[in-house]
Amino acid sequence: MTTPLREAMGNADVLITVGSGGVGKTTVAATLALRAAMEGQASMVCTIDPARRLANALGLEALGNKEAKIPDEAFARAGLLPRAAMHAMMLDMKRSWDDLVERRAPPDKREKILSNRFYQALSTALAGSQEYIAMEKMWELHEQRRYPLLVVDTPPTAHALDFLDAPNRILDFLDNDAAKWLLTPALAAGKFGLKLFNLGGSYVAKTLSRFTGTETLQQLADFMLNITSLTESFRERAHQVRGLLQSPSTAFVLVTAPMPERLDEAVYFHTLLQQNKMRVAAVVVNRVHASVPALLWDEVARLSGPLQRKLELTLAENDRLARQDAKGIERLRELCAPTPLVLVPRFELDVHDLRAVWETSRYLWGDTAVVPPVR
Amino acid sequence: MIEALADKRLLIVTGKGGVGKTTVAAALAIDGARRGLRTLVCEVNTRERIAPLLGKPEAGAEVTSIEENLWAVDVKPEPALREYALMVLKFESIYSAVFENRLVRYFLRFIPSLQELVLLGKILYHLKEKRPDGSFRFDRVVIDAPATGHAITFFSVPQVIIDTVPPGAMATDAAWMRDLLVDTATTAVVLVSLPEELPVNETLELHRTLTEKVKLTAAAVVLNGFIPHRFGDDDRAAPLSPALADVLRAHEARAALSATSARSLSTLGLPVIEVPRLFVDEFGRGAIEQIAALLGKAGRP
Repeated sequence: MTTPLREAMGNADVLITVGSGGVGKTTVAATLALRAAMEGQASMVCTIDPARRLANALGLEALGNKEAKIPDEAFARAGLLPRAAMHAMMLDMKRSWDDLVERRAPPDKREKILSNRFYQALSTALAGSQEYIAMEKMWELHEQRRYPLLVVDTPPTAHALDFLDAPNRILDFLDNDAAKWLLTPALAAGKFGLKLFNLGGSYVAKTLSRFTGTETLQQLADFMLNITSLTESFRERAHQVRGLLQSPSTAFVLVTAPMPERLDEAVYFHTLLQQNKMRVAAVVVNRVHASVPALLWDEVARLSGPLQRKLELTLAENDRLARQDAKGIERLRELCAPTPLVLVPRFELDVHDLRAVWETSRYLWGDTAVVPPVR
Repeated sequence: MIEALADKRLLIVTGKGGVGKTTVAAALAIDGARRGLRTLVCEVNTRERIAPLLGKPEAGAEVTSIEENLWAVDVKPEPALREYALMVLKFESIYSAVFENRLVRYFLRFIPSLQELVLLGKILYHLKEKRPDGSFRFDRVVIDAPATGHAITFFSVPQVIIDTVPPGAMATDAAWMRDLLVDTATTAVVLVSLPEELPVNETLELHRTLTEKVKLTAAAVVLNGFIPHRFGDDDRAAPLSPALADVLRAHEARAALSATSARSLSTLGLPVIEVPRLFVDEFGRGAIEQIAALLGKAGRP
């Protein structure tokens, strides 16, 4: 029997999990990588989520910027025997940017770039830079071809939108009329310390410097001048990453929970991925509440006293949650068609160890299926 | 009102994504307005939710009156920058000439932290804003702040600017903003959490970072989705079918997790306000009112 994610893992060598915060996206990423390893496909899961959730779920003390193999003992403790290795890492933005500059910038520019305050902003705070470096890392890991399956986790939706656009944004930063206008004279003269806004008129520069101080503008100009040495390599990479994102061997896994406010975001994101010609393998609906079987209502009806009242209340609460979920799932099915939905039940405990990750994988893989709640 | 928050003029509501920050911010705002405090509730550059949750049209990027004593705004970088620039420059024509210059707009995007500074600046400006009679325009400002990692970055911005940006309007403004944020008489952080292991751990970590690195002071924790115990030993001993016994056990397991979570959070030495999980069909005004009433009663003898 084939199921959407089993098929996706068979066909794709890169899976990217996307979705809003707090829906279990990171756990799903870890689960896919674990399942692949259990099935004999060596895997690597890379998270760029700022919170350190993945290490938690994998029973590792901490995850670093380097790829770490999940230790055999951790699997043994969970009673699991993987047929291939599973690796994990957490992207450290600053370190990855530094590596990139050191690898790609001409030797005489490296220090100038690394020590510039604007570089600090670019590498840590600039919108899209986290996403860009994640794409860069994804590309690098993909190129190494050490892992037959690469699972990439992304930051929550507000930022995951930047994710699709990140390579373009960085290019926009480096390769735009304004930059050319500013830098051309200096580049032609082949020297640093250009006079900022010479061409734009000192009026503009003076007004701006009332906000930022003159020094800030000068530093920005210097930075632009130095980082331009990287433009070509950024451009090339942006192009390649776009290609990888749209490649038939890349698939997105959209993760959501069946609550109304999460649903809208999921649908929005689904639309966006499709507009960008990116393949969504499945929408994973996490933490689905099951319907209350009629038998239980009957049994409670035969009881009496406070216990009956308390159980009735509990069933009514469970029932309400299941109905809400059913409504949400119906909406998702309709608005994300024809992308298949994969339902994962709400577990009584947080998924925070390998055993629980494994249990989750049984639903993702399709060993077992959730009976969809009914309205 | 939660006692530790009663005299604070700025409430910063933050926590892990998906724990119900917006709900708590809306409830605190309603509670303040009910007490006659002129209250402004701010969302930060997001898809606006508070006014619609309260059954009102979106407020947008301008401070908008929602109901008696309650105003809302969703601060956005571009309008905030414009307001800020106009305040410094005083003249619209200079603003247009400089800030609407395409090339300048381009550069502004890369001035480190400028965007966060103007967003935070607008909010804190409203905190300081006075009416002609000298009283504050708003008695209280509630911020529905970004989630964990982004909240830390956001509220660190004034200090980062003070440390790195050479003297100028930005550095001067960053200084008063930092002073307001760290002033414990004015400002209190409300941490929002859920009764699950990861959100609780993240709350503990967030508290540490906010206190040690950002120098913000938390005054209360709101534990959303709390599930109280319901069944006693007698109930457990009753002869039930395995499936029904599971329902009972599952409820008690969730209740136990709620209790453990409350205990872990109480190690912060702050009041932990348990907001019971609400079972409602539509999460809207009614639910927010319930939570507001609960927060209103919390901490009172």
